Amino acid sequence: MSDLAIELFGVSKRFGPKVAVSNVSLSVPRGSVFGLIGPNGAGKTTTFSMMCGYLYPTEGTLKVMDVDPATPGALKGRLGALPQDAVLPPGWETGALLTYWARLSALAEPEREAREALEQVGLMEAWNVQTQALSHGMAKRAAMAQALMGRPPLVLLDEPTAGLDPRIAAQVRQVIKGMKEARQTVVVSSHNLQELEELCDAAAILDKGKLAQAGTMSELTGQGSEFRVQIARGDVLIPEIASMADVTDARMEGESVLRVRIKGGVKPEEVISRVVGHLLQHGVLILGVSRGQRLEDRVLQLL
Amino acid sequence: MRNSARFPHTLDGLKETLVIWSAELRRAVRSGRAVVLLGLYSMFSALVLLVVGWLAGQVREAVNKQLETAGAGADASAQVGEEMRKGVLGFLLSDDSAMMEALSRVPLEVLVVFKITLFFLPAYVALMGFDQLSGEVGPRSMRYLTVRARRSSVLLGKFLSQATLLLGLVLIIDMAIFVYARIANPGFGFADVVINLIKFWLAAIVFSLAYVSLTTLCSSLFRSPAVSLVFNFILLFVFWLMDTIGRAAQTAYSAYQVVDAYAVGEPSMMPFLRFLRYLSPSYYAGNLLHPKLAEFAASGAAYAGFAMVFLLGAYAVLRARDL
Repeated sequence: MSDLAIELFGVSKRFGPKVAVSNVSLSVPRGSVFGLIGPNGAGKTTTFSMMCGYLYPTEGTLKVMDVDPATPGALKGRLGALPQDAVLPPGWETGALLTYWARLSALAEPEREAREALEQVGLMEAWNVQTQALSHGMAKRAAMAQALMGRPPLVLLDEPTAGLDPRIAAQVRQVIKGMKEARQTVVVSSHNLQELEELCDAAAILDKGKLAQAGTMSELTGQGSEFRVQIARGDVLIPEIASMADVTDARMEGESVLRVRIKGGVKPEEVISRVVGHLLQHGVLILGVSRGQRLEDRVLQLL
Repeated sequence: MRNSARFPHTLDGLKETLVIWSAELRRAVRSGRAVVLLGLYSMFSALVLLVVGWLAGQVREAVNKQLETAGAGADASAQVGEEMRKGVLGFLLSDDSAMMEALSRVPLEVLVVFKITLFFLPAYVALMGFDQLSGEVGPRSMRYLTVRARRSSVLLGKFLSQATLLLGLVLIIDMAIFVYARIANPGFGFADVVINLIKFWLAAIVFSLAYVSLTTLCSSLFRSPAVSLVFNFILLFVFWLMDTIGRAAQTAYSAYQVVDAYAVGEPSMMPFLRFLRYLSPSYYAGNLLHPKLAEFAASGAAYAGFAMVFLLGAYAVLRARDL
């Protein structure tokens, strides 16, 4: 068994003349929460759909839980998926539909699984409600619930919190954190970068179908390579800071933020302590220190 | 080794098919569409039954009047009635004496209603199942199924649920027709009712399964249920046209062979057109009530062949398509 839950090797997908995904290679370690990031049309949902076996790649190969997702029945019971824009079939009561799907997944106690999953997303009141009568948020949670049934080792969630009110979105984030604690592998595609930064161990940034960057969240946000000091008052002596040990660059961003870049392989806490000590010695008052960039800033920089 | 590895795989596929079949059937039975279609089909059958019954009564009355005027007795009236019945039977059953003999005890209105409803059954099947796959592929609800079941299981489960529903609906209609026939014709004995009900129902099953498969194929081809339905109707029309043209060409060709000795020239229709009828499922409907097993089996095999071709086509489309 590989340590990787998902591997993409030079995967491309074309729809007629339109190239949706171009030569993307990436891997998702088992037990991690992995983000798929990118603007609209970046190829997130197409990549997600190929991972689930909904779409076949035009070029390249995929391995999901060590198998080709296009192989019939290969991922049964090993993959839970929340597809974006997939409508719940009408004519079903929510509880009956989830029980049917649990039975189809060959789960031992289908009704109990359905109830537990609905409870997890706070939707037990919808058990007897017809799917076509569910609000957008409720339908989204019901769809999320079906992905959780049976606690599959790999869960793929496409825009899990889109269109949900903040309280429910927070609940969904809690569910994802719970899966992370249970060592399930989770892939989350989202526009909400703050959310992804909070949840993910690693991510891939896609732009116009191509992989712009992939890595751990620390690598992406540069947490080990730079930090920022927010200055309240005082004069910062930039040349002195730039010449300190393990510092490669220091400059002001605006009037009150000092950005310091440090050498690779160096413990950032040591450099931060030295720089802050130097600033305090020179009468500079500090409001706060933050490592790296916000994911949002990094993504905006890249795209 | 390979076979033993495939066995659980096949078994798992069968279980999936059963789960989908039972779930879809329950949904269909509870849905308004099944009730509406049953109502439509019943109304249509009842209408045909009433019209045929009324026409038969009118003709019988007119003949009796004429015979009375001519001074003929009751025996003559019964004889003319029997001759008329034979004439209609001959028309309906292509003058096949074995079939005419086998169906001699079945009231005429049952045969006429059966023939007419059989003609419209494919349209009814199309209305019932046009969205079985396209209705799931278009709104992408199919994606919830394919992460937990093979595409082949989804296809087969849905096909079987449609087929089961149809068998149930046709049985209800056939039972109603036979009950009516028994009441209207006291001479139509209980044993004959039961035997012929089973025979007619089986014939309808064999006939309609090919069309359920055709509907499954049409539904697999498009994302839009409306387009699937229209395409289904177009194919039904094309099949009917092929059968009609083929039969006409065969008639012309037979006539040409008879008069060839007088060198009247070849028929204007191209000779190969007569083979077109073999490509249309409706061509094989004639022998579905045949008493000879070989004749019935040939028709049944043709329908099974069509069903298999359509289903395999649907699977090939569904297997290859992005969802």
